[in-house]
Formats: sequence, structure tokens, C-alpha cells
Amino acid sequence: MHSEKPTLTAKTALWAYEGEEHDFISTRTFGFWLYLLSDALIFAGLFASYAVMDNPMSAFGHPLANGLLSASRGLIQTFIVLGSVFSVSVGSLGLKTGNKGLVLGGLAAGGLLGALFIWFGVSDLQVMAAAGNGPLESGYLACLYALLITHALHMGFGLLWIVAMFVHVARWGLDAMNTARLLCLRMFWQFQASVWVVIYVYVYLFGGAH
Amino acid sequence: MGTHHYDPTQHPEVRQGTILRYVLATVISAAAMVGAYYVAMSKPPLVSLIEELAGTLLVALLAQAALYFGLDVSRAQIWKSVSLVLTLPLFIISIGITVWAFSSLYGRTMPDPAIMSSMAM
Amino acid sequence: MQVAVEGPWSPLLGRLTLDAIPYNNPIIVPTFIVAALAGLVAVGAVLYYKKLGYIWREWLCSVDHKKIGVMYIILGLVMLFRGYVDGLMMRTQQAIAIGPDSPGFLGAKHGYLPPFHFDQIYSAHGTIMLIFAATPLLTGLGNIIVPLQIGARDMAFPYLNATSLWLTFAGAALVMISLFVGEFSSATWVGLMPYSEMASNPGVGVDYWMWAIQISSIGTTFNSINIIATIVKMRAPGMTWFKLPVFSWVQLTTAIIGLTAFPILTVALTLLGLDRYLGTHFFTAGMGGNFMLYINLFWIWGHPEVYFLVLPAFGVLSEVVPAFSRKALFGYPTMVAASFSIAGIGWMVWAHHFFTMGMGPDQIGFFSAATMIVGIPTGVKAFNWLFTMYRGRISYETPMLWAMISIVLLLIGGLTGMMLSASVIDYSVHDSVFVVAHFHCMVLVIGAAAFAAVIFWWPKVFGFKLNETLGKWFFWTFIAGSVLVFVPMFMAGLAGETRRLDYVFNTALAPYMLWEEAGVLVYLASVGFFVLMLIVSLWQRVPAGESPWGTERGLEWLTRTPVPFYNFAVTPHVNALDETSWRREAGAALRPTRYVPIHLPHGSGLPFILGMDVFAWGFALTWRIDWLIILTTIAMIAIVFIRSFDRNEGFIIPAEEVEAYEANINTASIFAEQPKRGHGLVGEAH
Repeated sequence: MHSEKPTLTAKTALWAYEGEEHDFISTRTFGFWLYLLSDALIFAGLFASYAVMDNPMSAFGHPLANGLLSASRGLIQTFIVLGSVFSVSVGSLGLKTGNKGLVLGGLAAGGLLGALFIWFGVSDLQVMAAAGNGPLESGYLACLYALLITHALHMGFGLLWIVAMFVHVARWGLDAMNTARLLCLRMFWQFQASVWVVIYVYVYLFGGAH
Repeated sequence: MGTHHYDPTQHPEVRQGTILRYVLATVISAAAMVGAYYVAMSKPPLVSLIEELAGTLLVALLAQAALYFGLDVSRAQIWKSVSLVLTLPLFIISIGITVWAFSSLYGRTMPDPAIMSSMAM
Repeated sequence: MQVAVEGPWSPLLGRLTLDAIPYNNPIIVPTFIVAALAGLVAVGAVLYYKKLGYIWREWLCSVDHKKIGVMYIILGLVMLFRGYVDGLMMRTQQAIAIGPDSPGFLGAKHGYLPPFHFDQIYSAHGTIMLIFAATPLLTGLGNIIVPLQIGARDMAFPYLNATSLWLTFAGAALVMISLFVGEFSSATWVGLMPYSEMASNPGVGVDYWMWAIQISSIGTTFNSINIIATIVKMRAPGMTWFKLPVFSWVQLTTAIIGLTAFPILTVALTLLGLDRYLGTHFFTAGMGGNFMLYINLFWIWGHPEVYFLVLPAFGVLSEVVPAFSRKALFGYPTMVAASFSIAGIGWMVWAHHFFTMGMGPDQIGFFSAATMIVGIPTGVKAFNWLFTMYRGRISYETPMLWAMISIVLLLIGGLTGMMLSASVIDYSVHDSVFVVAHFHCMVLVIGAAAFAAVIFWWPKVFGFKLNETLGKWFFWTFIAGSVLVFVPMFMAGLAGETRRLDYVFNTALAPYMLWEEAGVLVYLASVGFFVLMLIVSLWQRVPAGESPWGTERGLEWLTRTPVPFYNFAVTPHVNALDETSWRREAGAALRPTRYVPIHLPHGSGLPFILGMDVFAWGFALTWRIDWLIILTTIAMIAIVFIRSFDRNEGFIIPAEEVEAYEANINTASIFAEQPKRGHGLVGEAH
């Protein structure tokens, strides 16, 4: 492939005088997508730890998932998180028409449902801890808490982000920068639903049924 | 950098979203989870439990990838799709091989027969 | 729910007391005095020459990828020296403390270092050399070269780039301050479990080590995001994927590893942190903990990390060997494919670091075979470099010498690696210095390639070449030292010397220890020649001209020399893989005929402030100063929040100004002081 003789014609372009217009929004969303992939690997590490610890020896006399978690309560949480993601996603349709009310309304509804989800999860963990199955009691319980709390922390961080976006949209409207940020926020929120369905199926259902 | 050279409402990632996509993604994910819930409640043998749960999970994740994230091979989304496809094996490797490497560890390194029998599950 | 700590604790200073400062240690006090004097001289010089504003504006606030790269490399070189001194101390201890009759000095029974101090030194040596010397050196090179090779103005996220740099600095600063305040980890650079747990290691050493690598590896993850996004999104027009230079391809594969492997380290260290701070039982010996889980998570990162370091070295060889063979690289597509297969297979071999765990023959067989398979793409690369040299017109400038020795070291390190991949051999030499000698050969591949790269691209950044004569002295003393240290080490390892010995009980090993001591002293001479080379070259500053080596091939050489802060005066349209040599052969213009305005990002002090805040955060966590942890955490969130309101869109350099810079290129060097630029986009360019 290097053997061809260099040829120069009048048409050979040497300089891009017009400049290359880089797509600012796509670069940002792609960079954020890469962050999400690395974040997904954090969850992979936690899942691997959980899977290794998911045995009676690591539970150290405490129950495993089937004695700790309720699949039906988990299903309610699943509906809440899906509803939250649905709200944020539908709200983002307002970006098409510059409809600030739709965008902020979607974020508000999604944020409230997200807060409900966190409250639901945290109160479950409190009940577990009160029954003597706190995070310090065994290696298995530590992994279970680490997985659930890491997900809840992500949701909590998303809530902070939603609040920040209210300030930004109020100040600058739906300009290119805010559009890029809202697209990233939408991906971040959708990512929480994807992580949650894996947690639900693996920890609540598989762990609860075997 | 240069932020106001074009109209953000015309950006492909903005145009891509539709109400139909989001309704479908949400309904399919929810239905898959309800299905998974009933599979788990019926307590089938381990192999079919794993197969059926993995199937429902795959349906939910594929629906979300295609409809929530809008991953496809269009110019706007191709690199997200490629990077995801390149990363997917790493999830399987890091979780799967770890589980495999540890699967017989207690049995081999812990001599107590009572523990060994409980490890068999 | 924090765990109780041994020893005193106060709300104001946490675990920090005056006893934490080792003011009576005969080794640390002189070190501190020298470091403090050097620091005072540096600060004094900056103030005397009134350069504080320049350094703040042009360097600490800079988002220029070249300046960030230079600062990464300076950090890497300083830490390389610190790591070398650790090595010198270890070798000297082992040369003295042999057999029951060996003398003891400075309060040690044998040698001059008590066991606990010796343990800290080898832990620091490993941590520093891999995380704070090799990684910043290679990250810095990638930072400087990748945007130039793909014809971009800067990285995709310049501000994030500066953040990565200052996070790495914060981690390195934590390691350095552990020398003078408290202690460093004694649990090796990998953090042996359950020895790193609070029950057996109650001091602050493990905390220092843990937060230092946690912080810097988050910086590395950010940098990987940046490199991938830059290469995917910012290539110059005409640069299709198969016109992307090999160094940039390799940086892409490296960044994929950085993006995917480092999060697993984050998990391992966070779970260890939960054990040490909140009293959970992830990795403890009892209560259902599983300490092999930590080793597993650590090496899921740790092995890809090896390739994270060695792949950029391979990329450097793929640039330097063709340049000094005056031939195009042999087998470009196979080079790209080999890089991806090394990165991919490198993700599936991690358990060969603990074959002896007891995981069973199937698993051991899998990891053993996968490890051997990595040899195939690596061999493809080695043969490609040899075929590039075959029938080339080779000249032996210092970068080429480093590149060639790098290939030799790769052969030695690779073949001993093949021996270790066979689990039957590994079982008998596990944790012996044979393993140490093997991976030092591999790390020397990286070191040699990094020196080749620094010398090769030095004139691109600085505008003058490094002194060739002193460079050759540096090279030959370094190689002589390497042979003297590592050949006896291989032999001692096969003779049964185990790793990490503060006392060598077997007197039959004495000759090996003395040869190694001789080698490490020859290294000292090479350090001297390196410093002399820098001083003499800086003193002479012979202008290198537009073509310093006369054989450059890649797009990065199409910029002026020294490279101006805006990179290319006009973005080039790429026509060939080796654009510069293609243009020379085709007789095409190397310079544009007219100039257009250039848009660049503004600098910002926030990444630097964030780095300082994260350093304070790590320090507060190490010493468990609760109020400072809370304060610095709030400050971190506040800095991110404040940054989100920074709507500054950079500045425009008008075409006439670009023309003036190009006419007198030294005024555009990244070391030249630039006028303050107004905020906001004055005069829209497009």
C-alpha cells in the first residue's frame, strides 16, 4: 500500500482553509457515552464481587438474597424507575421544538419519581439492617449493600444534575450547550434503568429463586 | 468549542427521539420484567431459570439500547454502537471468568466437608 | 459508623500528631532538607525573575495539550528519579544484609534499613514506577503527539485534559508527602490481602497508597475518554482510518484499555476503603470476606494495565524505527490488528498473576494458554520492526539506539514471560526474583521506548535537539547498568531467592547481590549523564531547523518547529499515511499559501484548583480529619458547579496575527509568553 508513487494533481487538496466544523454536541455526547461505558464497568466489578460472594460461606450465617429481598417490592421499584426514565425521555422531546416547559416538566416528573425510587430502596435497606442484616455483618451483605447503594448514589447524583439543569435552562434557555447537557443527562438517566433491570433480574429474581 | 454555529433543534440526536420509541421501550422493558417476575415465582429448575431470566433481561436491554439510547448504524450514532459492541465482551469476561475462577475455589482450598457439600448447591 | 483507629485521634487534626513527622530518622531528615532547599530555590527563582504570573497563566491555567503533555513528562521524570532512588536503597540493603554475620547500621539488625522501612521502600518503588513514572511519561507523550498526528487544534475536551493532569499531580503529591508526614504502605504496590486490612496494617500507609492511586487512576480514565473522543471525532479532513498513524492507533487501543480496566481498580480500592473506614468485610480473613476477590479485581485491572503501558511503547517504536530506517513501516495493517489483539487478549489473562491460588486445572489451563497466545501478535510486531529495518538505510542516532535495545529487551522479557506462562514453571518460580527480573525487562522496554520518544520528539516541542554525544553516554551506561542488575537477578531467582527480602539469609547469593549493586551504581552514572545532557542541551540550544532528523515521516512534522501553540497554521488536508514524506516526494507544499483565523479555547484555573482540593481531600481521608473531608467534598461539587456556568467560548487569532507568528515562529512557541486574550468570541470567525 506504500508502493504507489505519490502523484500530485491540480485537484489534490492540501489545506482545509474553510476549517473543519466539528460537531460540538456529538463530541460531547460521545465523550459522555464513553464515560457511561466505564461506569458500566464499575457495575461489572460490583456484579463480579457479588457473584463470588453469593454463597452460604460468605453470608457467614446470615441469609442470602432469598431471605432478604422481596421480588414484588423490587417490581414496584422497577416500574418507578421506568416511569422516571420515560418522563425524562418524553420531556427531552421538547428539545425538538424548543419547548422549555416540556423539557423542565419531564425533568421534574422524572426527578420526583427518582427521589421516590431512592426512598423506596433506602427504606428497604433500613428494614434489612434493623433485622440484624446490616452491611457490616458479612462479606455477602457488604457486596449486596455496595451494589444497591452505588446505584442509588448514581440516581442521587442525577437528581443534583436535574436541579442544576433547571438553573441553566432558566438562565440560557435551550441553546447548544444546554442541549448537549440535556442529551447527556437523558442518557445518564436511561443508563440507570438499564443497570436497574440487571440488578433486579440478577439479585432479586435469580438470587431469590434459587 | 464554537457553540452557536448551528441550530440545536436540528441535531440528529434531538430529532431521533419520538413518543412512540419511548412508549415502546418502557412497555417492553416493563413487560419483560413482569415476565421475569413470574418465571422466578414459578421456581423452575436452575438451568431453565437461568435461560428464561437471561432471555427476558436481553429483551429489556435490547429494547432500551435500540429505543431509549437510539443506537443504530447512522452517522450520528455509529461510534456509540461500535464502542458498546467492543466493550460488551469485557462485561462477560470480567464477570463470567471471575465466577468461573472462583467456582471451585472453596471446594479446593477449604477442607471442611460440611462446607464443601453446601457449596455444591 | 467509622471504625475505631489505633492511637490518638482528635477532631481538629484526625490521626495527625507531631509523632507522625519522622524528625529523628537519619535518612528522611536529610532528604527533607534537600527537598525543602530545592523547593525554596525554585520558588525563589520564580519570584526573583517575576515569573509567577507567567507560570500561573501560561502553565497552571493552561488547557493546551502540548503544555499539559510537557507537565506530565516532567512529573514522570521527577517520579522516575524518586523510584530509582528507592531501587538504589533496596539494592544497597540487599548487598549489605547477607547472612547472619552481616553488619547492621542506623538501628537495623542487618543492613541499614529496618524491615518495616524496607517494606515501605519497595511498595513505594513499585507504585511510583508504574503509576507515577511510566504512566505520566506515556500519557504525556500521547497528549503532545496524538492531536498533532491527526491534525487537530487540541484534544476533544481540553478542560477535562487539564483536570486529568492535576488529578495525577494530586496522587503523586500524596505519595511524596507520605515520605515526610506519616508513612507509606508496607503492603507492596499491589496491596497484599488481608495484610492491607485494618487488623494487620493499622497505620496510615495503606491509606496514602490507596487514595494516591485511586485519585490518579480517575485522572487516567478521564484522559482515556479524551483520547478516544479526540481520535474518533477530531481527525483532519482526508484522514481516513487507514491513514491514521500507528502511534495514534496504539494510543486508541491504549485508551480503550484505560477506559475499561481502570474502573475495576476503582471498585477494588473503594471496597478496600469501605473495609478500612467503615468496617465492612469484603476482603477480611473472617466474617465471610474473601481476600482473593481483591487480588482478582486488582489484576483484572493490573494485567490490562501492563498493556496500557507497553502498547504506547510499541507505538513509539513504530514511529522511530521507520524514521531512522528511511523506509515506510512494514505491515501497517497487521500492526493495527496486532495492537487490537494484544489489547483484547490482554484482557483475558489476569489470573496468571495468581496461578497458585488454587482455582483448578481447567481455569489454569485457560489462562496459561491465553497468556501464550499474546505472544503471537507481539511477535508479529517484533518481526514487522525487523522487516522495516531490513534493507533500510539505518542511521544510529540516539532514538534509534533506544528503539533497537527496546526490541532486544522485548525479546528477553517476552521469552521469560513465555516460560512463566507455563503454570508448571510458574509454580516453582512464583514470588521469586526471577519474576521480578522478567517484568523489569518488560518495564525497561517501556522506559527505553519512552527515552526514544522524548529524544525523537524533543525538537518538535523545544525547537532544539538534545546533545547526541551525552545522549549516547546516557544510553550505554543505562544499558550496562541494566545488564549488571538483571542478568544476576534472573540467576538468583532460579537459584531460589524470593522477592521482597530485607535480609538475604543464603550467603551463596552474595556474588549476585554485589553484581546487582554494581549495576545500580552504573545506573547512577546514567542518571548523571541524563541530567548533564539536559543542562548542556538547554545551554547550547542549537536551533534544530524545520527538519531536525531529516527523516521525519508523519503528519506531526508538518507543523513548524518548535510547534506553535495553535499547532497547524491551517488545518492540513491529509492525502497519505506518512503525510510529510509523501509531500516531500510528491513535491507538494509544506506550508499554506494564505492564513485564516484560528479559534482556540481559553485557559482556566479551575482544574488546578480542583487538583489541589482533591489532594487535600486525599490527605484528609488518610488522616481521617472529618471536617476537612466534608469541606473538600463540598468544594469539589462546588467547583464542578461553578465550572458549568463558565460559558467562555475561547478566542480568535486573526489571520494577520497568525501570519506574524509564522514569520517569527519562536514567538509562537509554547514557552513564549502570549498577550492576555479577551473573553468571549470577538469577531466571529465562521
